[in-house]
Amino acid sequence: MLASSIFYSRGGNMKKLYVVIVAVLAHLMFISSVSAQPTNSNQLSDPRVRQALCMAIDMKTIGETLFEDQIIMADSLLPNGPMKSPNLPDYSYNPEKARQLLAEANWDSNRELDMVFYYGDQLTADFMAAIQAYFADVGVKMTYRLLQGDVGAQLNSVPDDGVNGPAAVDYDLGYGARAAIAMQEYYNTFKTGLNPQTPGDPKMDALIENINSSADPEVLKPAFFEIQEYQMEQVNICPLYYQKLFIYESNKVDRNGGSYGNAQYNYNWGITDWNVSGGTLQTNTGPVEFFEQPWYNLGLWIHNKVVFDRLLVADGALQPVGCSACESYELSSDGLSLSFKLKDGLTFHDGNDVTVEDVAWSIRTAMKAPQMHALIGNTVGSIKGADAFKDGSTNDVSGIKYNIEDRVISLELTKIDPNILTTFTQFAILPKHLLGDVDPLKFQQSDFWQMPIGSGAFKITEVKMNDFAKFEPFDGYHGGKAGFDIIAYPSYDGDGNLIKNAAAGKMDYGFTKNVADVAALDGMDNMGTKAVDIPYTRMMWIMQYPKP
Amino acid sequence: MTTYIAQRLFIFFPMLFVISFLVYSGLELSPGDAVSHMISPELASTITAEQLDAMREAYGLNQSFITRYWIWLTSMVQGDMGYSMAGGVAISTIMAKTVPATLELSLVALFFSTILGCSLGVISALKRGSGTDNSLTVAGMAGVSIPEFFFGLVAILLFAIELKWLPVGGRLMPHYETVWDRIPNIVLPSLVLALMMTAGAMRYARSSMLDVLAREFITTARSKGMPEWRVNILHGFRVALTPVVVLIGFRLPLLIGGSTIIEQVYQWPGIGSMFIRSVRGSDYPLVMTISLMYVFVVLTASLVIDVLTALIDPRVRLGKN
Repeated sequence: MLASSIFYSRGGNMKKLYVVIVAVLAHLMFISSVSAQPTNSNQLSDPRVRQALCMAIDMKTIGETLFEDQIIMADSLLPNGPMKSPNLPDYSYNPEKARQLLAEANWDSNRELDMVFYYGDQLTADFMAAIQAYFADVGVKMTYRLLQGDVGAQLNSVPDDGVNGPAAVDYDLGYGARAAIAMQEYYNTFKTGLNPQTPGDPKMDALIENINSSADPEVLKPAFFEIQEYQMEQVNICPLYYQKLFIYESNKVDRNGGSYGNAQYNYNWGITDWNVSGGTLQTNTGPVEFFEQPWYNLGLWIHNKVVFDRLLVADGALQPVGCSACESYELSSDGLSLSFKLKDGLTFHDGNDVTVEDVAWSIRTAMKAPQMHALIGNTVGSIKGADAFKDGSTNDVSGIKYNIEDRVISLELTKIDPNILTTFTQFAILPKHLLGDVDPLKFQQSDFWQMPIGSGAFKITEVKMNDFAKFEPFDGYHGGKAGFDIIAYPSYDGDGNLIKNAAAGKMDYGFTKNVADVAALDGMDNMGTKAVDIPYTRMMWIMQYPKP
Repeated sequence: MTTYIAQRLFIFFPMLFVISFLVYSGLELSPGDAVSHMISPELASTITAEQLDAMREAYGLNQSFITRYWIWLTSMVQGDMGYSMAGGVAISTIMAKTVPATLELSLVALFFSTILGCSLGVISALKRGSGTDNSLTVAGMAGVSIPEFFFGLVAILLFAIELKWLPVGGRLMPHYETVWDRIPNIVLPSLVLALMMTAGAMRYARSSMLDVLAREFITTARSKGMPEWRVNILHGFRVALTPVVVLIGFRLPLLIGGSTIIEQVYQWPGIGSMFIRSVRGSDYPLVMTISLMYVFVVLTASLVIDVLTALIDPRVRLGKN
């Protein structure tokens, strides 16, 4: 009170200073208010140590130098946007504070942390070296190694005891990413028993339930705020940066008003209205040995985007905005039933009708096929009777009902899937008459994937595997006919030929997350890039379980 | 000769067996399996252990190493190469697409490099110590020393990007209808590959020619008053060709595997780039088939070279001490 009156008496500037000091004190109190004790024999279970590790890394400088200023600093798992809490703790670079926290936690300076990662590029290796140097600056030793072989098992194996451990994996820190299409994907793996690094916590479980409790974003917003704040108080992970995506196009391409968005997925980009001078759009992500089935990497390959149709369509931010193959749809107020009516007269590229039976068969197959995107897996797993169908005790799924004549299919869910509409903006309808006899476990191994047939805007007309695939506009597409062909050249595990192909005029469209590519493409007269913010968070995992 | 060939064939198949077993063992010792490569690390966190086990069972990966090797071996002996694990494509189909592409590239490169290497090597030997010899020697050393990917990239930069005379890479395009359409695509990769091999062949031909020119029978031929070109070409070069043929013979199998880098640089859809992908994906059946093909080609080439050497040089008598 006294302090207040003194400050107020000195005028406006002093008032501002007072506000800043109070904010800083509150912030410091907030950081140190977290239960400041290790919970087991692993010193990393002490939140002060985890805070210190986060505060030891100068992501701003790393972003400006290594990443050529093409990244966005991260302050939680969730990307910036309407779901971002305004009350997150600040773990930005503060080596003094980091040293202080480590001293308070009696950090064993002889301990050498083992950091693992799974990206084989030079930029990641440089990034690891930078983090190693920053850690050394605050007195933490760290070595790093690239995981090889069964990376999933080495990284994601969960302990038998999901609360007390010990850990089922042998690293201390991990560098990786989560690319989510639904915000829940960021947190669902923190449920007790599902996370390889973070011990189960009843409060976290409850918060996860809350963010999955509704399909209404406004209802979910406070729940997302709360779970973000809680997780960042606990420092279960250390968010490092948000990755941007860069769409590149040649000067032959005019989108004609078509929007730009998250190109890793499917959205309404208006491709049938594009103008492409010369009549041929050259791109990458063509097949090497086979066309990848479209339920796994939902929009990564060009054929995912143009050969298959979906029931719904999303905007660039992947929010459902209306029908694509459906004429209408209805989601019940309780979120537990969803029905679609298909447009009339839809056909596959081979002339066969697209029916609700194809939709039903696609959903049933997705329940059993192993390579499946989590978004789709969650939705089809929520349908009534899915478990019995998956374990083989029934031959049909009780929650799927359809009438071919009426072109209506209804889905009944056992639990709310907050992203069910988003799922159907991405879920490709596949032809039962061509794939019906395939073993779902060997779904990708079917001959169908040598030259797949869909009902999307383009059909595949010629494939020279590992040379090119040619796509031509499909007359029967309900969204109009494009005025150009597409030639897709193969690329595998990133396109190592992008720059030279673009320089030689052999590339008109594509996307990359490699900032070095962007600099090179922007330097070309015939190419341009456009940055798109996407939900893709790079983070550092911190092992809190005791060592195995 | 017949006895020698029979002896070589007798050990040919046991060698194939032993090498195939060693390669299979090497794959077994490498971390991960095909399933772990099919599922990305990010996806793996959302898949249950039971689902992964089911996949491994479906692909037969849950069987013991010996059982899997035996199944593969017996299938291979019966002519069944099996299927690629990544996409289920028949390996015979993959080989039918990739082997011709690699052979096409390799044979064109071998042809150019042999003609060029032998000619320049002979010229260099005949003009020993001259400016021409020194220039060719320096060029040869540069050719041997500079990595082929560097030559490849420089050639792309110059001829594909700056001058736009030739395509940047690839083998086929939708509008290609005849073999002539494809020629622009093979020019750069085959010439770069040939250039690298020319340097070696030239150095080898030069040394061999110098060695032969110092022999007594060359002096005798000259003393008989034979024209110099006849001495050099018919007497000298014919004998000097023997080690060069051996080199070229050994290069054929090396070319099939050795064009991998050029295939990568020029997006050439050959066996080399497919081999890299299959190793990275732990695609056992495909890796084994390609490895076996390499071994088969090397052993066969070795046998053929021995026979050819004997035919070219009558002093060589195979199978005798």
